[in-house]
Amino acid sequence: MSASAIMNADMGVMGHAMALPVVLPLLAAFLLPTLNRIFRPMARIAGPAVLAGCLVVLLHIGSHWDGQPFSVALGGFAPPLGINFYVDGMSLLFATLVVIMGLLLWPSIHTGDDSDGIREHALTLLLIGASVGLALSGDLFNMYVFYELVSVASFGLVAVRGTGAGYVAGFRYLMISGLGSVLALTGVALIYTHTGTLNIAHLGLLTGKLDSAIGLTAFALIALGLGVKAELFPVNTWVPEVYSTAPRRITALLAGVISKVAVLAIIRVLILAFPGEEARQLLLALGVLGIIFGELAAYRARDMARMLAWSSIGQLGLVFVAFSLPGDVGVFAGIAIALHHLVIKPGLFLLAEHWGGALTALEGEARQGAGSLWAGLVFVLFALSLVGVPPLPGFWAKLSLAQGLVAQESAWHLFALLVFLGATVVEANYLFTVAVRMFKPASKPRPPRHGVLNLATSSALAGVLVVGTLAIAPLGDYIQTLAGQSADAAGYVTTVASDAVEERAR
Amino acid sequence: MDGLGLTALTLTGNGSVVGLDLLLMVSFLTVVVTLGGLNLRITAWLATASYGVQLYLLWGLSPALLDGAVAESVYRFNVLGHSMGWRYDALSAFFALITLIAALAAGVYASGGWGRGFQKAGGAPGLVHLALAANLFAMLVLLGSADFLSLFIGWEMVSWASFVMMVLARPADRDGALKYITYATAGAMALLAALVVINHHAGGLGYAAFAAAVPGLSATTLALLVFLVGVAFGIKMAVLPFHLWQARAYAETPGPGTAFLGAISARMGLYALAVVLVQLIGLTRVADLNVFGEVLDARDLIAWVAVFTIILPTYTALKQNDARYLLAWHGIGQGGYMLLGLVTGTAVGSAGGLLHVFNYAMCQAVLLLAVFSVVHRTGTADLNRLGGLVARMPLSFLALLFGIIGLAGLPPMNGFVSKWMVYVTLVREGEPLLFIGTVVGTLGTILSVFKLIHNMFLGSLRLEHESVSEAPWTMVLPMMVLSGIILATGIMPGLVLDWVAAAQATLGLPMVQYELGGPEGLDMLWVGAALLYGIGVGALLFMLGGRSHRVNPLDNYAGGHFLTAANRYHYSDNFYAGLMHLIGGWYRHTFARLESGLVAFVNWLGAGAHGFFRSMPPLLAMVVVAALVAAWWAEGGVGR
Repeated sequence: MSASAIMNADMGVMGHAMALPVVLPLLAAFLLPTLNRIFRPMARIAGPAVLAGCLVVLLHIGSHWDGQPFSVALGGFAPPLGINFYVDGMSLLFATLVVIMGLLLWPSIHTGDDSDGIREHALTLLLIGASVGLALSGDLFNMYVFYELVSVASFGLVAVRGTGAGYVAGFRYLMISGLGSVLALTGVALIYTHTGTLNIAHLGLLTGKLDSAIGLTAFALIALGLGVKAELFPVNTWVPEVYSTAPRRITALLAGVISKVAVLAIIRVLILAFPGEEARQLLLALGVLGIIFGELAAYRARDMARMLAWSSIGQLGLVFVAFSLPGDVGVFAGIAIALHHLVIKPGLFLLAEHWGGALTALEGEARQGAGSLWAGLVFVLFALSLVGVPPLPGFWAKLSLAQGLVAQESAWHLFALLVFLGATVVEANYLFTVAVRMFKPASKPRPPRHGVLNLATSSALAGVLVVGTLAIAPLGDYIQTLAGQSADAAGYVTTVASDAVEERAR
Repeated sequence: MDGLGLTALTLTGNGSVVGLDLLLMVSFLTVVVTLGGLNLRITAWLATASYGVQLYLLWGLSPALLDGAVAESVYRFNVLGHSMGWRYDALSAFFALITLIAALAAGVYASGGWGRGFQKAGGAPGLVHLALAANLFAMLVLLGSADFLSLFIGWEMVSWASFVMMVLARPADRDGALKYITYATAGAMALLAALVVINHHAGGLGYAAFAAAVPGLSATTLALLVFLVGVAFGIKMAVLPFHLWQARAYAETPGPGTAFLGAISARMGLYALAVVLVQLIGLTRVADLNVFGEVLDARDLIAWVAVFTIILPTYTALKQNDARYLLAWHGIGQGGYMLLGLVTGTAVGSAGGLLHVFNYAMCQAVLLLAVFSVVHRTGTADLNRLGGLVARMPLSFLALLFGIIGLAGLPPMNGFVSKWMVYVTLVREGEPLLFIGTVVGTLGTILSVFKLIHNMFLGSLRLEHESVSEAPWTMVLPMMVLSGIILATGIMPGLVLDWVAAAQATLGLPMVQYELGGPEGLDMLWVGAALLYGIGVGALLFMLGGRSHRVNPLDNYAGGHFLTAANRYHYSDNFYAGLMHLIGGWYRHTFARLESGLVAFVNWLGAGAHGFFRSMPPLLAMVVVAALVAAWWAEGGVGR
């Protein structure tokens, strides 16, 4: 056997293993309630065990991967007829991050009612399996299916604790998300009627057919539809309610990871099928509006969870602005901001679990013993990085975005830069108003309240941030590789086509 | 680097850590020491000793730096395609010298009795030492920036270190720090914008690359850059209209912190402005930018901003009834002289501006230290609740006296020399209006520093201060040393002009001609001798005059009447009633109103954003319908 044949054989094995992180959590999710009836202790550890298994698979693939993107034809049916997973640096990274964050933010069962807890476990598994699928999907139809699965799982998770506020927020979320699904499906249908294919690589060859009013409409519909999860303006009005009422670990997962996977899906479609200027302008405009509305609303927020939720909308606005820039400069900035937010926001939401109530009531919150002081310091670290204070990673992410915007030499991009810089000032103001308040002496003593698990998870994420600060140069090189790969539409098409040819040959 | 007229002589030896890296490393280790959980007393003195060591290290580097050499750090980093490094030249050394003197004075001051008093009052002196060490390190790093990236990083470090210092204020007075950090973030974002514009046009963030690209930049781009760096550095310097944050933020900081920040922190803006505007862009290029047609160019605009920065805050200072606020407002005004001197671009004028950085720093440090000594003993800085302390705290009085003479710019103190150089330049350059502006400012300074010394030390002693004694030696010592520096550099300005001239050379400005007694046309040795002679004659008359008798400091004399302790008389409240009757109507609080208007506007927008998120579903339905209609229309439009 020649070397390339061996490699191809390896790829084949790896390719099929690639399905495991999608299939295993989904399967486990359906089996978990049954397992719970049979053998409770096992059901309780089954979820993390499955995720750990998936993580091993993904890390194994990652460590044996030669760095070249590849496509996996599921069931042996080659695209464009069959459906495929597309594996490149970015999808592999996000799939791995989904699993890692799933493990890190695994919901703890702390109520007496075990069946509720197991339901939460099953839904989390469903959410994670579907998200991995969404990150890997190589065609629009699969994307839509996984997206729906993500939606269903998150509806359940938002309302899982059975509180009234949770139901109300969940219902609102359900309505907006449902509308989003309709929009996305309409967009997918429009594309299918005009091109006859849903495979993204195939669409990459047919961009001419989509370069019209109808193509743009289809993109707008898909972006708005998938944008519900990605907190895209204006379909993000569910965010403050849901994030402030859902269990914090779920919020952390939704805000931190799931939103990024949805962004990834939109960006795949944008890069491959809509290379034109208009689609990017749409994302730019929506991103800018997201920044403005998110940060301004956060400035006026009266409680911590909503403040973080609106800040999240603002940050995702930045991500969209970044991805709207053509070439790998934009993809670089987009990935950098998304990764940064992915580390920080879950950490902040976990800290916020014990900082409920009005923001004005947080006085002295960091002066209640060692645990609360530590939590306060971690909050300050996250806030500094969010504002973009060097040498923290947030600075480099913002610098790359600012560089990309100026390089476009257009008034719109300069306006976006102005908005983004102005929003940072607003952001610094509200974050540090809270920080200063927390470090004031308390007017009345409060019991120490930070849960060990949440604090440890937040601290771990803060640790990641610090490591990222120290290793910023290699991290930058790594993201540059990812960006180069993801921005290379022709490479994507070639990869899928040649892998399909090999698949047929087998 | 040749393009910048710098000799790239490395003072780092054979790759061994000497010179600059050692200085920065010692500074960094000091921060670590103050972070660690050592005994407070040991930490305080260890940190203070370290400031002395750093000063010594800088002194060791200085002969070569003043000769035009550049000390480069061996550390370089490459991140995201940008390379960044650090190096010291004569300009950095000049600012670092002032910073280190101020830090040493503040360190000694904070280490003894002041720290114990602060702790008793519920403060955390350990954190003050930490903040001081962090501020010093941040500033030393900023002063060593060798490209725009390290400049930005140093800039942010300085901003946040100042914030840490300010936030150590009493809990109720931390709003000043918050206002500061909002302004500072705005400044940082302006700088970030400047950075990316520079990167775009120069193809990198190196100083040399930018200097090479400047001749090819269009007037619009250059104007944009001047505007952006002007906003960024202007906020730090608190020039109009960005001055509103400074007085409160500085005044409420714990004592030695106020003295340190007040002396040097805001000057980091001047340093950065000098590097970008003077060294890299060049003042002639700035003067080519027309702001309002032919009437006003960018350099004139900066000069006028500087003059208004001198006048308005100085007269705001005049109205203050808190000694700390009075001095903090003056700090803003004095920054105007420095900027004005620098942008004249002449040998004497720019030297005057730079010299004033040193002179003002010494004066402001001693003034604030003296005020906080009084606060330490009496518990208040309220000018309406003090008076007559000269007999109780004579050394603090002396320090304050030296400080106010220097600040007001009267001979023989150093402030006179630098202001004289600025005045002379304005007259020589044919700028009578600017000159009048500076004189009006100086008049305000003289009036308000008289109010300061009168209301604190002169007049009748208050009953509750009868048992007050002089501040402990750890507080008096730095005041005395600084007073000595003020007098010595006033009579022998040549000592500092050595550094100033070298800094001018670094900036590419014409170098001032000077001798030990001062610049050409002014010999302070003679002025000092004449004053000494006058004082000698006065002393002789005093000695020869009849017997003097001591009076009770509670007694006083006013308007031809002896007032005894039974008749309390203390003229402090509404001190300049007559003057205020004349000019009181001119205080319009325009900038404060503009600022609150802006805040109200952002709040209004925020309320709008809230409304949007509350009432979204109907709007969302409209979006959906619109999108569907558009889709249907597009279908029809294609003709299917």
